[in-house]
Amino acid sequence: MKTESEKYNKVLNILRNSRPPLDSTEDIEREVINKIARAHQKRLNLSEIIDFLFGWVYIGWVRRSLITACVILVLVFVYQQGVILKRIDVISRQTVVTDKGIVTTPTDEIEKLLLGYKNLGRRFPSKTITISEKEMKDLLESVKELQIKYKDLENLIEGDPDLKKLIEQKLIENNRTKINL
Amino acid sequence: MIDIKLIEECRDGNFNNFRKLVELTSPFAYSVSFRMLGDEDQAKDIVQETMVTIWQKLGKIKSAEVYMTWIYRIVVNKCYDQMRKRKRNPEFVADEQTWALISNRISEVPSAALENKETSKIIALLTESLSPKQKAVFILSSLEEMSNDEISEITGISKSGVKSNLHYARKNISEKVEKYL
Repeated sequence: MKTESEKYNKVLNILRNSRPPLDSTEDIEREVINKIARAHQKRLNLSEIIDFLFGWVYIGWVRRSLITACVILVLVFVYQQGVILKRIDVISRQTVVTDKGIVTTPTDEIEKLLLGYKNLGRRFPSKTITISEKEMKDLLESVKELQIKYKDLENLIEGDPDLKKLIEQKLIENNRTKINL
Repeated sequence: MIDIKLIEECRDGNFNNFRKLVELTSPFAYSVSFRMLGDEDQAKDIVQETMVTIWQKLGKIKSAEVYMTWIYRIVVNKCYDQMRKRKRNPEFVADEQTWALISNRISEVPSAALENKETSKIIALLTESLSPKQKAVFILSSLEEMSNDEISEITGISKSGVKSNLHYARKNISEKVEKYL
């Protein structure tokens, strides 16, 4: 064990004494200076590129113009948002049509209702609903005509009590829904 | 040792003083890197890289007192990187003949210094089975004669870790010395 320790210490002493000498300090110094200079040059190039790309921010009139442009763009954006919201509000008041039929209608006018059905036919061109523009006009015409004829008939029945009584009796006989004249 | 005033002046950006600092610091960095890597050219490269890093980051160290520890830390870390790169290609193959030659050489030079090539070969063979950390701890402690506290600071290993690594390294090397030399 003692021999081992002696041997070990001897080897260590030799290695300690054999400190590697650096004979070319000047070469290393020169290389280091060159590397630092190159790194510095690279940094300079980078800063030149950054200046080229973003140097305009230091020009007063360019900066002010861009600020003005930004403000205008913000105002245009706000205005557009206002218009869009208005349009959405108008659209939301109109007839909403789904594949199951008309969900809401703004009025109970028959024209609007029919228009809704027409739109439904346009949006969902299935076999169930197909109404053309002309058919729609014809339908509206016939409804109006029917309303006029109904009014004439009402006046005629009101003017003749016997006829009124007879019609009422007939309706009861046929077990139909009573019409309020 | 290195004058703290000189380091402080370099921290302020004095390039001429930095040249002097390179001249004074390089031998220490070279000694550790050569003993770690066993290759003069690679050791010189490590020294150059270390000096460039020092110039770039000298202003960031907290105080000039920690300068030497900081340098050794940079060198050791760069040596780790280098060792990782060449892990798959071990430089020396330890056979009986090589050991016999080394044994003869050591008995020839009881106290005188060995040549760089011989030193690197002996260190490489003695530490071939050690991990990079164990090798670093062994070199810093046994050859550079640093305290465990300093080694802990440089390598980032805890004090107990330094002790255990050193114990293992000494045991391993001692066995090789006993067996082959």
